[in-house]
Amino acid sequence: MENVLSILFCLTLLYLVITSRLKTYVSILRAQGVLLSAIMVFPFLHHLSVHILIIPLMSLVIKAIVIPRFINKIIIDLDVHRIVEPSIQPFNFLLLIVASMSTIFVAAHVLSGYTPIEPIPFASAFSAIVTGIFLIIFRKKLIIHVIGFLILENGIFLFGTSVAAEMPTIVELGSMLDVFVVVFLMGIAINKISSTFAKQDVTVLGRLKD
Amino acid sequence: MSILLVLTVLPLLSIGVCYFVPSRKVQYIISLFAAIAHLVCSYLVFSGICIPAENDFIRFDALSKLFLLILSHVYFWVVLVSYSYLNRPLIVKEEKSKKLYFMMLNVYLFANTLALISNHLGMFWVAAETTTLSIAPLIYYYRDKESLEAMWKYLFLVSVGIAFAFIGFLFLALSAGGTALEGQQLLITSFTRSAAQLNPIWLKASFIFVFVGLSTKIGIAPMHPGDIDATSNAPSPVAALMSGSLRGTALMGVLRIYQIMVRTGTADFARTIMIIGGLFSLFVAFVFMFKVTNYKRMLAYSSIEHLGLITLGIGTGGVAFAGAMLHTVFNSLTKVVLFLTAGNIHRVYRSREVNSVWNVLQAMPWTGWLFLFGFFSINAMPPFGIFFSELMIFQGLLTKPLLLTAVLFFLFFIFVGMSKTVFHMLYTAPSVEQTTIISEKFEITHFASLTLLVLLIALGLCMPAQLCDIVGQISKDFGIIL
Repeated sequence: MENVLSILFCLTLLYLVITSRLKTYVSILRAQGVLLSAIMVFPFLHHLSVHILIIPLMSLVIKAIVIPRFINKIIIDLDVHRIVEPSIQPFNFLLLIVASMSTIFVAAHVLSGYTPIEPIPFASAFSAIVTGIFLIIFRKKLIIHVIGFLILENGIFLFGTSVAAEMPTIVELGSMLDVFVVVFLMGIAINKISSTFAKQDVTVLGRLKD
Repeated sequence: MSILLVLTVLPLLSIGVCYFVPSRKVQYIISLFAAIAHLVCSYLVFSGICIPAENDFIRFDALSKLFLLILSHVYFWVVLVSYSYLNRPLIVKEEKSKKLYFMMLNVYLFANTLALISNHLGMFWVAAETTTLSIAPLIYYYRDKESLEAMWKYLFLVSVGIAFAFIGFLFLALSAGGTALEGQQLLITSFTRSAAQLNPIWLKASFIFVFVGLSTKIGIAPMHPGDIDATSNAPSPVAALMSGSLRGTALMGVLRIYQIMVRTGTADFARTIMIIGGLFSLFVAFVFMFKVTNYKRMLAYSSIEHLGLITLGIGTGGVAFAGAMLHTVFNSLTKVVLFLTAGNIHRVYRSREVNSVWNVLQAMPWTGWLFLFGFFSINAMPPFGIFFSELMIFQGLLTKPLLLTAVLFFLFFIFVGMSKTVFHMLYTAPSVEQTTIISEKFEITHFASLTLLVLLIALGLCMPAQLCDIVGQISKDFGIIL
């Protein structure tokens, strides 16, 4: 079941690449939040307890509700153009992502022969990390950079669950809180940038250099 | 246990007070009290007078003790001068930033302490990320376009970098596949103990991700730009804090992974990566030292240079490793002097551009002379401590003559580039339309800088046995017999 959910997670990434509406980006973030929480719950479905549910619930609240709402609010407040202006043709971007994903999936399959990793969640996680980085590189709008960062974080989160490294609850909660505060601060910064500069693009941030 | 409470709970209480009490004076007194208590406790732990309780998540090994003392020391001086700094009349927009100032400093102290004493890599990650979050609003202190850009870049680059470091930690967990550590907590002690069983490929991947990710915070080239912008646009005490202690905390993350690797066959790989990173940082500092027109950016590049040298020393191993540890101490203290005096210059000349600053020695004799001695110290003039630590690094590099030549070449020209800028600021006579304002009283920043310079000379001339012991112990933990 984790594999099915991971594949769904991967499909959201592909949708992310071809869409040009900001609103869809937020919906995808929401969907990924739900998928991640479900992936965390599934292995424990037969022996659920309050302790086990704390982290998935928190992740559901933060990743699927709080953060998407906050980003939606920024988009509405700033009246950002709803259409994303890509600096790369959507079709080329899609090709790039598909090529990267294929490489990652093949590599994960090869690696799973040597190390105890779950190839599909592992490859999905890495695809999200790579997609997040590409979004940051190929999009100009700062709000998309924040979304790219969140996709990257989602990838790491999925990676964490596939590695099955034991993390204490407090550390898990702390890391989620950290991500939330980062996004919160970035949101404030984008607000300030939009009131200080004419645009909310990376192009306006070129004052500091030698 | 009580030591641990003072180190962690006191800053937390102080955060609460700073949040609820609007009076800046009260905030200052409480923060200063927390800083002094922290310093005393760090010293007690450092000198072995008090042995704090340890558990799976908290550990006070020699490395933690040294970095904790550096943090307390730098933090104490920064808090001490902060009140007078906040009372300087400069720009009205700052008023809002001042409300947050002490609270954020306390958050920084709490998070940084936790990062330094944590034995769990996940906990280290959370704490290190929190230090970024506490510093970001402080970078935006001046509330102008430049500081906004600097804050955005720092927050974004470092957050992405730290996310990479987390991937590195997860790779470390993967490296334990098939051993008794599989699925266990990411405890540094248990991974160090069972290092020989770890999978070398994943271990190498882990090191690369952690090193590259944390380089954004340490300031190792080519991941340094966010760090340069942030350090040069933050208010001087915050810049001193960043250069003096924050970079060290990030370096600690790299050292922790390296500590695990030294017990395996992958140690040489890590050393090579660190040497490349260090050398490239020196190269970048060398190039930009001639290009830079902003004196705070010059100091930021100097941080890149010294962190590069420290990384290089760690990578070289042997005596150079011990030299690098001492260099961390001396560099931190010197950076506080330089940034505080640079802040004084900025206040009077209202510009960070080198060409807008002239005749500082005559206009601001206290600041000018302290800045000059700080410059001597950072460029390793005897009898300042850095001279001795650099000498140790060079001694370690003697086995690699080509590398030593390259390092000496870069350092010489960095010195030339930096002197050109510094002497221009200190000695250039004013032109016809420029006038020299001569008015300077002895302030608390001068007291702090003077004390630190005296301390740097004292540490250089007669190194305390405790410091030698701790450095020896750290070297031993890293498999180096001095």
